[in-house]
Amino acid sequence: MNFWTDPVNVAAEWLKDVFIGWGMTDPYATALVYLLGAFLLVALVMLLDVFLVWVERKVVARFQDRIGPNRVGPFGLIQPFADIIKLIIKEDITPAGADKVVYNLAPVLSLASVLLLWAILPLSALVYGVDLNVAVLYLVAAGALGTLAVIMAGWSSNNKYALLGAFRTVAQMISFEIPMVVVLLIPTILTGSMSLKTIVERQDIWYVVLTPLGFVIFLISAIAELGRAPFDLNEAESEIVAGFHIEYSGMKFGLFYAGELLHAFTFGGFMAVLFFGGYRFFGLEQIHPLVAVLILMVKALLGYWVIMWIKYTVPRIRIDHMLALNWKFLTPLAFALLVVTAVMHRLLGGTQPWVYALGLFLSNVVLLLAALEILRASARRQRRQEEAVLSAVAETAGH
Amino acid sequence: MTTAAPHDVPHTVQAGTPDLAARFPGLVAPDERSGYSGWIVTADHLVQVATALRDEFGYDLLSSVTGVDYLPEGKMEVVYHAFKTTGGPGICFKVQTGRDDPQVPSLVSVYPGAELQEREAWDLLGIKFTGHPDLRRILMWEGFNGHPLRKDWQEPYYEDEAKPFKSRSPEGHVYRFEDRNPFGDNVRYPEDFDPEKWTPENPEDLLYKSLKTYQAESPDGIETDHIVVNMGPQHPSTHGVFRFVVALDGEKIVNLKPVMGYLHRNHEKIGERNTYLMNMPYTDRLDYLSPMSNNFAYALTVEKLMGITPPERAEYIRVIMAELTRIANHCMCIGSLLNDLGAFFTPMIYLLEERDLILDVFEATAGSRMMVNYFRFGGVARDIPEDALEKIKGLAFERLPRILDEMDRLMSENEILRARGIGQGVLTAEDAIRYSATGPLLRGSGVPYDIRRADPYSIYDRFEFDIPVGKNGDIYDRYIIRLEEMRQSVRIIQQALKQMPEGPVMVGKPQYQFRPPVGESYGRVEGPKGELGFYIVSNGKPTPWRYHVRAPSFINLTAFGPMCVGQKVADTVAILGSIDIVLGEVDR
Repeated sequence: MNFWTDPVNVAAEWLKDVFIGWGMTDPYATALVYLLGAFLLVALVMLLDVFLVWVERKVVARFQDRIGPNRVGPFGLIQPFADIIKLIIKEDITPAGADKVVYNLAPVLSLASVLLLWAILPLSALVYGVDLNVAVLYLVAAGALGTLAVIMAGWSSNNKYALLGAFRTVAQMISFEIPMVVVLLIPTILTGSMSLKTIVERQDIWYVVLTPLGFVIFLISAIAELGRAPFDLNEAESEIVAGFHIEYSGMKFGLFYAGELLHAFTFGGFMAVLFFGGYRFFGLEQIHPLVAVLILMVKALLGYWVIMWIKYTVPRIRIDHMLALNWKFLTPLAFALLVVTAVMHRLLGGTQPWVYALGLFLSNVVLLLAALEILRASARRQRRQEEAVLSAVAETAGH
Repeated sequence: MTTAAPHDVPHTVQAGTPDLAARFPGLVAPDERSGYSGWIVTADHLVQVATALRDEFGYDLLSSVTGVDYLPEGKMEVVYHAFKTTGGPGICFKVQTGRDDPQVPSLVSVYPGAELQEREAWDLLGIKFTGHPDLRRILMWEGFNGHPLRKDWQEPYYEDEAKPFKSRSPEGHVYRFEDRNPFGDNVRYPEDFDPEKWTPENPEDLLYKSLKTYQAESPDGIETDHIVVNMGPQHPSTHGVFRFVVALDGEKIVNLKPVMGYLHRNHEKIGERNTYLMNMPYTDRLDYLSPMSNNFAYALTVEKLMGITPPERAEYIRVIMAELTRIANHCMCIGSLLNDLGAFFTPMIYLLEERDLILDVFEATAGSRMMVNYFRFGGVARDIPEDALEKIKGLAFERLPRILDEMDRLMSENEILRARGIGQGVLTAEDAIRYSATGPLLRGSGVPYDIRRADPYSIYDRFEFDIPVGKNGDIYDRYIIRLEEMRQSVRIIQQALKQMPEGPVMVGKPQYQFRPPVGESYGRVEGPKGELGFYIVSNGKPTPWRYHVRAPSFINLTAFGPMCVGQKVADTVAILGSIDIVLGEVDR
């Protein structure tokens, strides 16, 4: 183990030795090193977040045939800092009827729930916060904390728009967590472990090939979980103005905004880890741990780009359509996929890798086609029923 | 276009309109004042006559309701203009009543589309419509003293009856009249009025009381509370300072009331102080997204009154400009509709680019991008410059057809747009006519009524174009129709460009002071938002005696409430977006 091959751990060991040299006992030194590590990770992630604001604005501008920020710094790179300064010097408002504690806690919790996710994201084989053996469960649990923050904000603001936003959040987030959890079990079955690091290490063939349907379901439910368009019902600008964060101003709003962007990027990272081989890219990751980190970041950015692409292309779905999509389509499909994957994994477990991959891929395709056929048939049936009702009405009107 | 001044023609029953005097002997008399036409109905039999007009004679679309205060005669008159949705000229009938306590039976039971217009006439002229279900003030606030369109009503700082005010001309020393007053103001209260002791009726209470008129349904016997949510006046999706109050059962709407007047400036009162030409730039400010159409309608009305016809080239320029305005307006409308549906500005910005190119043409021609002030009585202000003409050709023959196809591909088949549009906010054809809806709202419901075809004005009878109609009358149909109308507008522009002759663009010498002969005139065009009409009464002075705007987006809002009931909150903004309102026109 030397500094070149494993810089983070070597630096941590060295720092621990320094602390012990200062007369600390081993447990205290370890705790302090971990604390510093967490602090460093959060600081870097927040810095990344600032960069994401620029990415988002620039990419959107390109989607919309505009130039985007280009005045502050080269290519407008300093623009986010100008934004931050503006947000900080804005008046910080707490509405008169608000529940002050909950109201002020909500933005912090919102950002914290995203930062918590970075603890389990394996940046490379050697750079990670913690290799949790129930990381997949942790992912869902920490995500639920973000939901709680939204509900807290909506409830405590004492505003009808905010409350409507919170209502919608409850309906949306809770329902979309089900297909998400089910789909998360698929990489778990394929790997036999809930540890994200193990999942990455076992992905000689990217799981997006083995379970493309699972990836699509994960993408949809992740967008819903993020509350991004077309599922941005909880802050629907054109309907309930800003929904749950309507009453927030200045940096409190900034925390929600930063949390949202970072959340999207983080889910891009998890998509990369769960379905696109994480930090691995045809052996390139073995050059250096930081190259592996770079690979993951690029993959996460691509995922983030897809999420943005969807956001700036499609209109917003309505709440009843969204719930119907979730409960009548995604959830049953996710369960069916889980069963099919488990069976196929068991059946083809000992065969050639290419047979195994092809079998799983084809089973996904067949399942998707079957689901769409069922959907089409039911739509046809519904249409026929409606037509029957209409013609019956016309007949009675005619007589 | 009439060629002879109407006041020269002795009163005869216009060809194609029924002889009401023969049908209702004694109850209806022809209006025989010089320069006037139509029928005068006795107030007691108004409902009977209106019902017969609707059911027997087929005048199913009550286009305009307004009042005129004839102060010298000591009379109030309510003027109705009704049309057939199958086309042809309309009929005008009037009711006269005294000035002191003017009362006229309400026509809401026959034509529900009169609801908002009667409220407006009550608000501005103080005519009481007996039997109106919800007769509240609409543009002024509750507790406003008096009815401002009455000729004897004078505002604070009242200076003179007509412009140009002596304080501003002829010397041109502009000062505010109120500065001359040693007491700082000249606010006069009526006799026996003490502002300290006066408490107006709370408008909010009245509003919520009228909101609570719905029948609460509880099919399962469970009583639930309804939330009252105010959308607007500050709301991103109301397209301005429009407000509507909804009573919600969960996310479902049980009742909706529009509240307007936040942008009210009493356009009509100001218009009656202005000379005829002074009103031309002022019409730009009505529907500021389609100024050329507003100019068009006003110019047509005054030309009808004066009996002049613009030269050929001017007619073609007018049509080109009006159709370009329609495209620009529909670009804005579709863009903001998609925004209301939650698309994140992308379609909006694509379409705004096209609108900008059209505004470039306006700028090159009229000198201004939005407040164009381009039409004149008997022509247009100036010819289209050569380079602007090239730009129009480029737009009409190349760019716009391509871009419209591109937008069609981008949006029309989008699954979410279809799910949010098809079957939502349905307005049946019967309801659309009953609520006096016009424009894309009416055609979306499947009524092929386009004034350019139904009652052609200017030179629209020379062009080949289709009238797109919808099938279901839902949000999606209104969207598709606007897209299709843009294509038809492009077709008209293409034909006009090919046919346009050389020649003058103005009849006679340009003049500043017009004195149209005594009489009345109702002119209307198919504006991008619907039937834009002007009703002008001239008493031979340089300023109009009555200047009324039949604002399409205001009257289309009558159908807004009924369309929304039973829908979700998210749909209200989409429905409002599909009506396409501009607050400058709604509030006037």
